Amino acid sequence: MAGSGNAHLRPRDQVLLQVEDLVVEFPAGRGRTVRAVSGVSFDLARGETLGIVGESGCGKSSTARALVQLPPPRGGSVRLDDVELTTLRGEALRRTRRRLQMIFQDPISSLNPRRRVRDIVSEGTRVWGAGGDRVDEVLEAVGLDPATAAVRRPHEFSGGQCQRISIARALVLEPEVVICDEPVSALDVSVQAQILGLLEDLKERYRLTLVFIAHDLAVVKNVSDRILVMYLGKMCELAASTELIERPAHPYTRALLASIPGSGLDLPPADRLIKGEPPSPVDPPSGCRFRTRCPRAASRCAEEEPEIRPLTGGHWVACHFPETA
Amino acid sequence: MRRRLGPGFWIAACWILLVLAGALLADLLPIARYDETLAGPPRSGPSADHPFGTDGLGRDVFSRVVHGSRVSLGVGIGAVLLGLAIGGPLGILAGYRRRATDAIIMAFNDVALAFPSLVFALAVVAFAGASLRNVLIVLGVLGVPAWTRLIRGATLSFADREFVLAARVLGVRDSRILWREIMPNVAVPAASYAFIGMAVVVVAEGSLAFLGLSVQAPTPTWGGLINEGRTLMDDAPHVVLAPSLVMFLTVLSFNLVGDRLRALTDVRHSGLEPVRQAPPAAPAAPVHAVGDSLLQVEDLRTHFVTERGLVKAVDGVSFTLERGRTLAIVGESGSGKSMLIRSILGLLPGSGVDRSGNVYLDGDDLTRRTPEEMRHILGPRLGTVFQDPMTALNPVRTIGAQLAEPLRVHLGMNRKQAREEAARLLAQVGIPDPGRMLGRYPHQLSGGMRQRVTIAMALSCGPDVLFADEPTTALDVTIQDQVLRLLHRLREERHMAVVLVSHDLAVVREWADEVIVMYAGKVVERGPTAEIFGRTRMPYTEALLQAAPRLTDPAHHRLRVIPGRPPDLVDLPSGCAFQPRCAHARDRCVTEAPELLEDGHLYACWYPTGSPISEGAESRGR
Repeated sequence: MAGSGNAHLRPRDQVLLQVEDLVVEFPAGRGRTVRAVSGVSFDLARGETLGIVGESGCGKSSTARALVQLPPPRGGSVRLDDVELTTLRGEALRRTRRRLQMIFQDPISSLNPRRRVRDIVSEGTRVWGAGGDRVDEVLEAVGLDPATAAVRRPHEFSGGQCQRISIARALVLEPEVVICDEPVSALDVSVQAQILGLLEDLKERYRLTLVFIAHDLAVVKNVSDRILVMYLGKMCELAASTELIERPAHPYTRALLASIPGSGLDLPPADRLIKGEPPSPVDPPSGCRFRTRCPRAASRCAEEEPEIRPLTGGHWVACHFPETA
Repeated sequence: MRRRLGPGFWIAACWILLVLAGALLADLLPIARYDETLAGPPRSGPSADHPFGTDGLGRDVFSRVVHGSRVSLGVGIGAVLLGLAIGGPLGILAGYRRRATDAIIMAFNDVALAFPSLVFALAVVAFAGASLRNVLIVLGVLGVPAWTRLIRGATLSFADREFVLAARVLGVRDSRILWREIMPNVAVPAASYAFIGMAVVVVAEGSLAFLGLSVQAPTPTWGGLINEGRTLMDDAPHVVLAPSLVMFLTVLSFNLVGDRLRALTDVRHSGLEPVRQAPPAAPAAPVHAVGDSLLQVEDLRTHFVTERGLVKAVDGVSFTLERGRTLAIVGESGSGKSMLIRSILGLLPGSGVDRSGNVYLDGDDLTRRTPEEMRHILGPRLGTVFQDPMTALNPVRTIGAQLAEPLRVHLGMNRKQAREEAARLLAQVGIPDPGRMLGRYPHQLSGGMRQRVTIAMALSCGPDVLFADEPTTALDVTIQDQVLRLLHRLREERHMAVVLVSHDLAVVREWADEVIVMYAGKVVERGPTAEIFGRTRMPYTEALLQAAPRLTDPAHHRLRVIPGRPPDLVDLPSGCAFQPRCAHARDRCVTEAPELLEDGHLYACWYPTGSPISEGAESRGR
């Protein structure tokens, strides 16, 4: 589990965004290194939503930031259409990066408290000197009144509305890919449903391709076509949403699903599928990174890192001993 | 904004403006010339002609103080602006660029800060000559390191925010990010520090002038005036007192203005904080029977008097709870669920709160207990676990010390016994190698382990009821499962009751025996878990259930959307608080608030779901 490999990538001409062997590392002090992402690959076809799910420290947010090159990854490639983003610098990067946009978890810290909402949303159009007429349209599309937005500042809006403002800001430059990093985790259930519904509507209306990152599998399943499960900087499993939830093959995916209260799935209790706590990404285990918590781990798991391999059509798993139906 | 700055700010600001106006207009004012000797009899006290009296040469002290303010304010403002002009850009550069730029700038800065500044100032002025320009430059340059550090810190704290990241993704250039995103946020702390810096410089200039190292006579300066007046202290104290008082008030005003400006950068108030002590509620005679339940809550109300109006955070909540049972309190943010347990435990802010109703623990009314008596009930009888284990633990004390404290205070154990018991408790909450864990600090533990420690602390004195406020919200789902299992096991082993506050209906459904659903401070549905989830009656509960995504739903399944948002607690809708968002609402819901009705379980709704009247009838359709 928790392995690497590129066998699951589709031919380049079929996908809009392709990420290959992504490596993100940063210093942890005293000469040590946090291995946040270690060889993750995935791709997105135009109009597709890929969900990335995992617990804290699995590298999902580091992956999101590496996609927009903030900061550029330590290794691997991020390709948008024909453009390799990781080798771009300066002005060329600035021009290409705008084709990807991001939405963040914290609706408060995502917005500059000292600017008016309309200025926040129209910032992109001012920088690029075009699309000013789009601002009102986008504001209305996310369900905000342009007249109110012209005079108010973010603190006068609720968390859900602030998230709408963030979405409007991301959409104003007509991006091709929108990366949503835990966009609904800070919201109440009733507001969460509104934002998820809004994202689906906007995806249709503006033909967006979405990377949807969250820790909540039920939320991810609700919006995604395919789901990638990550653990400690590695890939575990990739499959179509329903396939992944109904026939989880990776021991970690199974544990994650079994831990969800009232999941309604036919799985053993979670305490039989996973034990202990995640190890530190500063000093990850050898071989399969999940083996220290895996009830199926054998000596092979410590020696050899599992490569991602096909299980059935479109269902990929990185494990030496996956669950097979 | 005005109200938050307070009258002190405005008085101080007026004083500064007055002194500033005096300095600017000194030559135009109808006062004696500052250097005109024998303008009045020498050493005469304050009079109508000479409000501050005259000095030894008969010069008008008032005029000399007014003219002296030119030097003091000029140096004060000039030096601060000079410091900001150099330190500001350096700080922004260090905070935004980081890495090598930051390291180099801050290395120089640290060296500069280590310089004994007043000695440096004395030396430079003594060598270069005591002129207004030299004093201003020296004091300005001496302020640069502090400015750099302040601006760097403020920049760092904003450069990490997502809105800066978002701007970079939009393709905004660094210069514009600095100008539009960072500068406006750094401006407030900078303005605050500028005023405090001016106070410091005015004092420093005064000291130099007193030593004769500032602008030379005949130009008057405040420090110089004090120095001159020193010899006349015996028969003309006003010559010293007048400039001293003006200088004192000016320095005080600068500090006050700076201080109040700094308060502006603090967390923005919502207007819902209590503002004053509410009149104590008259203890009403209980009209309810006190049963023999472990915990009985009767008509509990907690109201806050705030700037914006009365907030009914908890409004008439009643329930009973028995040993070995788990009661879940669910609701969205602002529903009053956390305030309810704080209210039960008596952990409310000291002022502006009005609590009424009764809380019985084994028939004993806790609302009649003094805070001192409650201290002996919290811990030994009522345990608490909160959402964020990091803030619940003291970061500078070891786990062992924190666990042993309640054991020694409440149970009177000695050091050795407490340590052994602490290790036993840690083992009980599933912490491996408890002996070693006792010597560790909270930051060395993972979130899940920290929450286990707070659970061990809550259990240390063997409470009868454990209150857990969102105990797993900050944890990962696999760890959440472990912690909820642990709570369940401990409840069984210790025959406790558990009150579990949660926003997560799935958690509640899995782990609670009874459920209270709250909306806008009120209980809207209450009953056994199976009843609430199997035969939901209140439309709010139903909508909440349908709004949460489920794993068994197909992908891209449309979730039920509850229109609008939770109500403003100071401006509740009339009738039923949920009525404006409810698909079943009709006229009666607007005019009359529903009481809790009993039908298998309790619910507060005129047209409950699952009953023929609501399904057949035409709804108002929103």
